Amino acid sequence: MTLILEAVVFGVLTGGVYALMASGLTLIFGVMRIINVGHGALVILGAYLSFALLRSAHIDPFVSLIITMPAMFALGVVLQLVFIRPLKEDREALSVLVTYALALGIEGLLGFLFSDNLVQLNAWYETASFAVFGFHIAYVYVFGFGLCIAILAGIFLVLYRTTFGSAVRATMLNRTAAQLVGVNVDRVSAIAFGIGVSTAAAGGVIFGMTNAFNPGSHYDLISRLLTIIVLGGLGSLRGAVIAAVGMLIIEDVTAVVISPVWASFAFFLLLVIVLVVRPQGLYGIRVRERI
Amino acid sequence: MRSPSWIRAAKWAALVLVLAVALLFPAFESDPATVNIAVFTVMYVGLATAWNIMGGYTGYVSLGHAAFFGFGAYAFGLVLAHLGIQAGYEPFLFVPIAGVLTVVLALVIGWIALRTRAATFVIVTIAMMFMVQLLAENLVGLTGGGSGLSFPVPPWTGDFFDTPFYYAMLVMAVVSLLLSWWIRRSKFGLGLLAIRDDEDKALAVGVPAHAYKLTAFVISAGLVGMIGAVYGYYVTYIYPQYAIDPLVGISLVLMVFLGGLGTLWGPVLGAVILEPAQLWLAYNFGASLLYLVFYAAVFLVVILLLPRGIIPSVGDLLKRIAARRAVGPSDTASTSDAHTVAGVPSP
Amino acid sequence: MRKPAFLAVTGIVSLGSLTLAACGSNSPVNSGSPQAGTPITIGVSVSLTGDFSGDGKALVQGYDLWATDENAKGGLLGHHVTMKYVDDASSTTQVVTNYQNLITQDKVALVFGPFSSLLTIPASTVTNRFGYAFPEPAGGGPSVFTRGIHSLFFVQPAPVEDNLVSFTQWVLSLPAGQRPATAAYSTEDDPFTQPQVDKAKALLEAGGVRTASYKVYPAETTDFTPLAQQVIAANADVVILGTQEPDAVAFIKAFQQQHYNPKALVETAGPDQGSDFATKVGSANTEGVMVPAGWWSSAKTPFNATFVSEFIAKYGGTPGGIASDAAEAYSVGQVVDQAAKKAGSITNAALIAALHTGTYQTIQGPMAFDSVGRPSGASFLVQWQNGLTVPVYPPSAAVAQPEYPKPAFSG
Repeated sequence: MTLILEAVVFGVLTGGVYALMASGLTLIFGVMRIINVGHGALVILGAYLSFALLRSAHIDPFVSLIITMPAMFALGVVLQLVFIRPLKEDREALSVLVTYALALGIEGLLGFLFSDNLVQLNAWYETASFAVFGFHIAYVYVFGFGLCIAILAGIFLVLYRTTFGSAVRATMLNRTAAQLVGVNVDRVSAIAFGIGVSTAAAGGVIFGMTNAFNPGSHYDLISRLLTIIVLGGLGSLRGAVIAAVGMLIIEDVTAVVISPVWASFAFFLLLVIVLVVRPQGLYGIRVRERI
Repeated sequence: MRSPSWIRAAKWAALVLVLAVALLFPAFESDPATVNIAVFTVMYVGLATAWNIMGGYTGYVSLGHAAFFGFGAYAFGLVLAHLGIQAGYEPFLFVPIAGVLTVVLALVIGWIALRTRAATFVIVTIAMMFMVQLLAENLVGLTGGGSGLSFPVPPWTGDFFDTPFYYAMLVMAVVSLLLSWWIRRSKFGLGLLAIRDDEDKALAVGVPAHAYKLTAFVISAGLVGMIGAVYGYYVTYIYPQYAIDPLVGISLVLMVFLGGLGTLWGPVLGAVILEPAQLWLAYNFGASLLYLVFYAAVFLVVILLLPRGIIPSVGDLLKRIAARRAVGPSDTASTSDAHTVAGVPSP
Repeated sequence: MRKPAFLAVTGIVSLGSLTLAACGSNSPVNSGSPQAGTPITIGVSVSLTGDFSGDGKALVQGYDLWATDENAKGGLLGHHVTMKYVDDASSTTQVVTNYQNLITQDKVALVFGPFSSLLTIPASTVTNRFGYAFPEPAGGGPSVFTRGIHSLFFVQPAPVEDNLVSFTQWVLSLPAGQRPATAAYSTEDDPFTQPQVDKAKALLEAGGVRTASYKVYPAETTDFTPLAQQVIAANADVVILGTQEPDAVAFIKAFQQQHYNPKALVETAGPDQGSDFATKVGSANTEGVMVPAGWWSSAKTPFNATFVSEFIAKYGGTPGGIASDAAEAYSVGQVVDQAAKKAGSITNAALIAALHTGTYQTIQGPMAFDSVGRPSGASFLVQWQNGLTVPVYPPSAAVAQPEYPKPAFSG
């Protein structure tokens, strides 16, 4: 029983990280109607940036976010301008291919710079732990979870309490209508992409402290993130957060109750069940989509 | 618009030439290393053509076709093992069984995945692929799990070994092309194209969209499964991560987009260009870690500069030249035709 | 279908196939004996990119060092040796293509093996079909030998599944009062790790050690905390982990987090990575950790001291930093050299015949192969003591007593 309780607690703590990464992905989809298959690679890139700063300048991974998040924001804006904006026709399909190519490029570049050996971000709070309910929780999970909550809260505040946020939400609801009422959709798209990519940097740091990673880690990551945002409903931030935490709990509990080899399967199975009942996902709205 | 007779004659001559070259290839090329590359190239011709029946004609982009490829290989390996079929030519007769089993899987996956559209569909196909991969890994008693599954090894010598597989892959590619050609000309194919242009309008005019999409999906998957079966027998040993490899799924899509989405010959062209290039590049330059970056760069250039693929772009170019010469009244009509064929319905 | 486009395509397709046909060469595969004294090339497909690239690079170092030594001695039976490496990016399709190309296009005289059982198996069917001997350093999972390939030789002291046998013998040799009562197992679902753990479990259960927990986890797992918690919850006397280096390190970190200290801890791989492992877990935490090994830098096997000093002279680093992959690759060369001398020939048929008989001396110790290339020896149990790995079992090879129970992690 303790094991199951423990699994639930860890599901919530690690789910927070996936919620953060998935919220960036779903925001990008919501605003631009594109699937950013490169999101996983950008998370890994963020982890490597912090890794480089840790190794060369001994900057604490969390502190390094002060540098990496703005840098990744800028990168996001540039990527959007150069690779996403030129896509005019058949955007959804082509964006998958373009962002996939970006992922491959990032993977190759990271492999060239850092080799394919697995690494992990280290800090004192990684092995230090405190006891609760009869088991130990490492500080790194709690700090990571706290950071995720803070950033997610920031994103929600911006979206629901600022003029820019209204412009973003308007674009998500109806791009053409937003344009008609004077929203600069191109600018909103670029900034939203930047925000999405900078959350990838933050997610990357927390992911990199609790998981060993190498440049190829993005495949596994992106398949989970995509499943999460579909489960939550494409474009729904709230859905992404709930789906992320729910899925990680299910995964960790399955690992304890059944077997770790079925944990990811449970994760995908949940998606199938939800799709059979609600094809639009938990919080999705049924939109008339066109390829 | 009927084409002049000399074009039709040239078309038949070209078709016969391609077929003759494809058929006689192993006869005047005895180096097994080259035939090996040809086996993989023809394999991708078949795979890309099969994918195009779903992805190109209906516009539903599946990134999960690797699931059917790997499933076909596993199903075939298990059928051979349970029926105790000896290595040699006999196993090729059982390839259709792998196809039938793949069709059953595709019916289940398609029924669920096709409840969604567009972006959601893309992601669901990816999730389904990982589920199939996890099953291959976890059902250890059946599949051998992470230790992989062995096929019977044909007793042929190295100089000859690749030839039967080349012809098996060629048969699969030709079957895929014939089906693709037939579907394009049929009422069913018209329905698929209507779904691609606007699914709701297609529904409104009475196209049984769900049944049509599922049929296309299942045909496409069954062909891919049979090709996977031949692949498994060829490499003689499969294991989950590489039998059900996301990269296979994405390579197909890239080939189709490069050649021309929704065209009959686009997937063929894409496969013939990309697969030998990839094998050759990896063999000669793989050790320099930047080859992934290089591959990505080629990928980006193709999509950003030729978003509609080579065939539609070149076709347009040739047409413009022809039009400038002839200044015929058919000009506008042919341009709009080109748009539909390219898979880019004008918004 | 618009005709002009169709014509363009058929043109390109036909041209492409013709070019492909024209650039191949029609001469038959090299199967005879090279002229005495002529230089030869040995081909290897290794993973220089992808998940196995770390091991792949270590193999290259070992092979290169052997080739240098061999040429300094006048070559392989008088033939100057050049190594040719091609990258398989850890993919089946590519490894099959690579060995075909090496044999028929580059016409290499001999081929050596790649990294991991998963690539060795498809590669061995290709090399076998061309009649090439396939000595290989890294594919020793059970499925490698079940295919009955007569031309394959696994150049390590023991088949992989027997790696933990010496550990179980040590556990069962402990006096009744000290012998552990329970064991917890956790292993990656991988042909390298799982067969070892399964065999150890069967042997220990037969010897009366109760299984408190047994879990298999997917090879792609990256967060090991939940898995470690299940091991901890079992609270067993000994912990047996089927790991590679990343999870070996992660489990130890998680045990530290949770203040858990089993009496004995053995991992299938990871602790054998020398100073790299010590840096990752912290050198104080290595104390008492066990690992099966076929080779270690201080082994007293013939020529090993020279190998270690030459390796450091060529690539730098410390003895503790030499990956066992490099020693295994070097051994492949040693075995082939002795087989060639014995057969008086470097044709593949002669080498295959020779390798099936007799014993071969390598820096990993003596080696002999059965009809499917399975080695007949046993591996050793090695333990970290005072910052170094030392063999502790069987007693014939041991230089120190096993430290038991293992001291607590430093926290």
